[in-house]
Amino acid sequence: MFSLKPPRPTFRSYLLPPPQTDDKLNSEPKIKKLEPVLLPGEIVVNEVNFVRKCIATDTSQYDLWGKLICSNFKISFITDDPMPLQKFHYRNLLLGEHDVPLTCIEQIVTVNDHKRKQKVLGPNQKLKFNPTELIIYCKDFRIVRFRFDESGPESAKKVCLAIAHYSQPTDLQLLFAFEYVGKKYHNSANKINGIPSGDGGGGGGNGAGGGSSQKTPLFETYSDWDREIKRTGASGWRVCSINEGYMISTCLPEYFVVPSSLADQDLKIFSHSFVGRRMPLWCWSHSNGSALVRMALIKDALLQRKIDQRICNAITKSHPQRSDVYKSDLDKTLPNIQEVQAAFVKLKQLCVNEPFEETEEKWLSSLENTRWLEYVRILNYLVYLSFPFSLIIFLCCNHVLSILLTEEEGRDLSCCVASLVQVMLDPYFRTIIGFQSLIQKEWVMAGYQFLDRCNHLKRSEKESPLFLLFLDATWQLLEQYPAAFEFSETYLAVLYDSTRISLFGTFLFNSPHQRVKQSTEFAISKNIQLGDEKGLKFPSVWDWSLQFTAKDRTLFHNPFYIGKSPPCVHNGSVKSFKRTKKNYSSTLRGMPSALKNGIISDQELLPRRNSLILKPKPDPPQQTKSQNSDMEPYFREWFSKPVNLHGVILPRVSGTHIKLWKLCYFRWVPEAQISLGGSITAFHKLSLLADEVDVLGRMLRQQRSGPLEACYGELGQSRMYFRASGPHDTDTSGTPEFLSSSFPFSPVGNLCRRSILGTPLSKFLSGAKIWLSTETLANED
Amino acid sequence: MASASTSKYNSHSLENESIKRSSRDGVNQDLTEAVPRLPGETLITDKEVIYICPFNGPIKGRVYITNYRLYLRSLETDSALILDVPLGVISRIEKMGGATSRGENSYGLDITCKDMRNLRFALKQEGHSRRDMFEILTRYAFPLAHSLPLFAFLNEEKFNVDGWTVYNPVEEYRRQGLPNHHWRITFINKCYELCDTYPALLVVPYRASDDDLRRVATFRSRNRIPVLSWIHPENKTVIVRCSQPLVGMSGKRNKDDEKYLDVIRETNKQISKLTIYDARPSVNAVANKATGGGYESDDAYHNAELFFLDIHNIHVMRESLKKVKDIVYPNVEESHWLSSLESTHWLEHIKRIGHGDKNHTDADRSPIFLQFIDCVWQMSKQFPTAFEFNEQFLITILDHLYSCRFGTFLFNCESARERQKVTERTVSLWSLINSNKEKFKNPFYTKEINRVLYPVASMRHLELWVNYYIRWNPRIKQQQPNPVEQRYMELLALRDEYIKRLEELQLANSAKLSDPPTSPSSPSQMMPHVQTHF
Repeated sequence: MFSLKPPRPTFRSYLLPPPQTDDKLNSEPKIKKLEPVLLPGEIVVNEVNFVRKCIATDTSQYDLWGKLICSNFKISFITDDPMPLQKFHYRNLLLGEHDVPLTCIEQIVTVNDHKRKQKVLGPNQKLKFNPTELIIYCKDFRIVRFRFDESGPESAKKVCLAIAHYSQPTDLQLLFAFEYVGKKYHNSANKINGIPSGDGGGGGGNGAGGGSSQKTPLFETYSDWDREIKRTGASGWRVCSINEGYMISTCLPEYFVVPSSLADQDLKIFSHSFVGRRMPLWCWSHSNGSALVRMALIKDALLQRKIDQRICNAITKSHPQRSDVYKSDLDKTLPNIQEVQAAFVKLKQLCVNEPFEETEEKWLSSLENTRWLEYVRILNYLVYLSFPFSLIIFLCCNHVLSILLTEEEGRDLSCCVASLVQVMLDPYFRTIIGFQSLIQKEWVMAGYQFLDRCNHLKRSEKESPLFLLFLDATWQLLEQYPAAFEFSETYLAVLYDSTRISLFGTFLFNSPHQRVKQSTEFAISKNIQLGDEKGLKFPSVWDWSLQFTAKDRTLFHNPFYIGKSPPCVHNGSVKSFKRTKKNYSSTLRGMPSALKNGIISDQELLPRRNSLILKPKPDPPQQTKSQNSDMEPYFREWFSKPVNLHGVILPRVSGTHIKLWKLCYFRWVPEAQISLGGSITAFHKLSLLADEVDVLGRMLRQQRSGPLEACYGELGQSRMYFRASGPHDTDTSGTPEFLSSSFPFSPVGNLCRRSILGTPLSKFLSGAKIWLSTETLANED
Repeated sequence: MASASTSKYNSHSLENESIKRSSRDGVNQDLTEAVPRLPGETLITDKEVIYICPFNGPIKGRVYITNYRLYLRSLETDSALILDVPLGVISRIEKMGGATSRGENSYGLDITCKDMRNLRFALKQEGHSRRDMFEILTRYAFPLAHSLPLFAFLNEEKFNVDGWTVYNPVEEYRRQGLPNHHWRITFINKCYELCDTYPALLVVPYRASDDDLRRVATFRSRNRIPVLSWIHPENKTVIVRCSQPLVGMSGKRNKDDEKYLDVIRETNKQISKLTIYDARPSVNAVANKATGGGYESDDAYHNAELFFLDIHNIHVMRESLKKVKDIVYPNVEESHWLSSLESTHWLEHIKRIGHGDKNHTDADRSPIFLQFIDCVWQMSKQFPTAFEFNEQFLITILDHLYSCRFGTFLFNCESARERQKVTERTVSLWSLINSNKEKFKNPFYTKEINRVLYPVASMRHLELWVNYYIRWNPRIKQQQPNPVEQRYMELLALRDEYIKRLEELQLANSAKLSDPPTSPSSPSQMMPHVQTHF
């Protein structure tokens, strides 16, 4: 039994390194060698030796001995012992196997089991007892536990306090990214503008490993926006520079795209009327000319109508067919950020904190009660609904409308909806580079408040996992259309994890302006010469080579993806995929009369919609039934046809189709792990085949182009993580023993409920003052 | 459904598909004929009706009733709807409305099917059209009650594979390494005189004589003595099955039965206790004492340990399945899907079975067989590469469990099938399946010898089998074919194509060279050479 109580003396010699014996002498030099691997700018603030890291839930026999350190970046457990029971470790280059970045810590619980006390440690708090145990609850659903039975009581206490202190910084500039980037600038004084370009802000899409050397556009510059306009063929739109130097708004990017017919002067005047001066921002244009635009509310009631009309007219003018604008008010249709956060907290509680067996019986209704899936579904559903007209176009009807998303500040749910719409409608955003550029465009640059929403400073009531909600909704699409995405679910999970590493500038700030302002201040305080650079260049998360080796990055690739290059076979014949030319009729015949006169609101078009997905208790998509709407036949027809994976993909949003993203939420739960199973086993098999096809394809090209020997170099590259070792390997090779439903992650060492004697950890989380799991302890005393 | 007013076009592709499928299955579908017919199938009647489609509303059509199926073809120009329902699937036929019923389509028939569907037909009130249809349907849907043969005995389909040969008990026992030192094959039940519901060949402990078996049989319900189902190829532990002991209220004991179980235990010397899994909930086992049954008590069976698996009886299961139907047909309970699903307890029953007993191979027409297939499906979801067959295989089995087209699932035991000469007079379902194997194969299957699966029987992983339970609803229909499988098949075809072209190119290249070709002439020879550069 793995227990909180100190082992009985008779067992001591089996469980603990006997402190006074030769063993200790042997182990001492060993422990001295245990040095942390530190990043530039990283310093150890406290450490303690002879710490036991708990591995299994019901026994201490696998526990590891080592040193626990707290740095200004992470908590690190350093040991010479190999991880028991673990068959695979997906290594993050920034972190050791047992490390947790400080920004990933959710809660710190210290326990003294002799005194039967426990305390949730906040910043600058006192600890009246010497902890015998430390439990770290991580934001990524892990639970890590250390015991200090053999450590110096004072140093154990100090480390706990240090972790509490450093993981809950009082100021943004205390986040490690600043120290790291500052050091990089100092170390590379000779280099122009600090960081060598390799890990600079540019951040390659090269990150994803083999293949593309393309870079992810960050949309920090005029030219990135200009290219996006050209890529989408959006005539009637221009890049606007009035916010250069953040002169207009501190929560807008310096460059953004507006209707060509709106002059800078007008925009400047209008901007005062918008919440946060967030005027309309162009997101994307459909190839038929319909645009997707987002903006904040107009706070000035008097001018509201007038400005609204001007904006809509301008959008209409920018449309090649002068089509109308469809307005979608997200505040009225989606759950608010607090509701999403509440759902997430419940989901997490259910997935990792509640006892596994006890939640089995009521699992489905408990899952339903979290409302997380409902929100994922509503998000998907809303997107599906808010775009009926562009879809209808696609489905050979003639409604060609631009869409205007409005939200109070226009920087929360707008990010979710705007980006999800683009994932569904534009295959470019289903590639790795495209998806990354989408996150840059609709989240980072559009001022999604990552700092507050991720709660990096741990004191914000504004925490809300909207970004995860978007990733989850994307996963639903990936699950339904596995061949439509260049990336895998591992990529999505790793991307989510990356929001918890305070090293990248990408997910650290509330707005681009905040980065510039804060990092300029920091640079001045540290005597860093910025030259003409706008703020420090933090590493970009898109530079995946910072986190993963080239080989490990290949796991981001989805072997099911039908890209443009590898041709595909239908009925035995090889065809190349071409982006289908869409035939849109340019006339407006068949349009309901109501649509012909300017702006149309949700209510007019979809009379029942609000009653259907309104909070707090949104109805499910029985709304589709709205008898009046003539779009259902189109949707039906769309679903009845084979999907063009390089065109629109629509989610199926029935309750039976929206699923729990198990890899993300169950990967650290040992009891839920399917050993040698899970969809990864099919993924593995397909990867082998895809790799074999790649090799054969290259051989074919070589055969055509000349002697075999000429291109051997090329053969070394593979898009696939799993590679065929010989011809027809796919037919014969078995499932590698390290595969499991958690792959590439491993739940080993993550402590779920039973590890602490059946006390529901929920009781810890609710911050109970007294050690509640007294059953066993009391028995011993 | 409120959406019923919408287009009827394309919404019934599944039903369409089923007919296309059946034509591929070897049905001689003469396109000029109004209804597809199997060899041996005869048309009984046809009638114009209104089919009240639960998804699309009333559709005018012509219904054809044969001695095998009910077939409906839409008479409306904008609808391609086709219904094709084997009569064996029907569990109940009811009349709805009376002669004085008013309102549109309120007079007709309501047909309940075992495959989760309900069919409603509205008929004209004049004449005896409904009575005729009701009587014909009743007669042919429940032929045994009307002294008619089951369709399986009339079916004249021919396949190039004989499915009746797929299972030969002697060969199967040989595959398992039986008989061996501890286990023997006995012919004691050759004429089913020991136990009429057991097969003719039984595997029993070597040390138990036929006389022992007869004495044990007296103490087991319906004489179903413990017999071997499966033996582990390496450690030789066994799975043995039997019925409940006849303990009764007085707690009767039987020395022979006790000894027999101990003999079984001794066949594996490492085991100090024989583990008995009683599939029932313990309450039921206790209650069964009142009717002469019971369970193996600790006092009587010292070297055995008894566990109750808590699997509910078929009545509970049937109730549960009925609840599943309530939430999925015709409309899926969307607003509280997960809690509604939970309240059916269906997945819970699946989970229990997944935990333990897999011995329910009764071809009984109870949901137990359905649950077994569901469990297999759940496992195939958890281990996508471990099964040679695909989902379609499982669905086909369930469809023909009820269809009465094949003899495979007819009657309750081997003796009854033998009496009826089922193997001579009917076609086996496995003939259909094995003559069209590719269709039922899982492309991801990886053959791994002696691989043991450890499924996670947790509600976190169990799912409702949408493609079976909700397949009639066009709204819920999953993508067909499965995109993952489809992609794999495409890549396989591409691989073969590339190999072919490589061979061609190499042939052409070597022909161009005047010197004798030094490069390998086929990709299969060349590949290993190339592969070393990886």
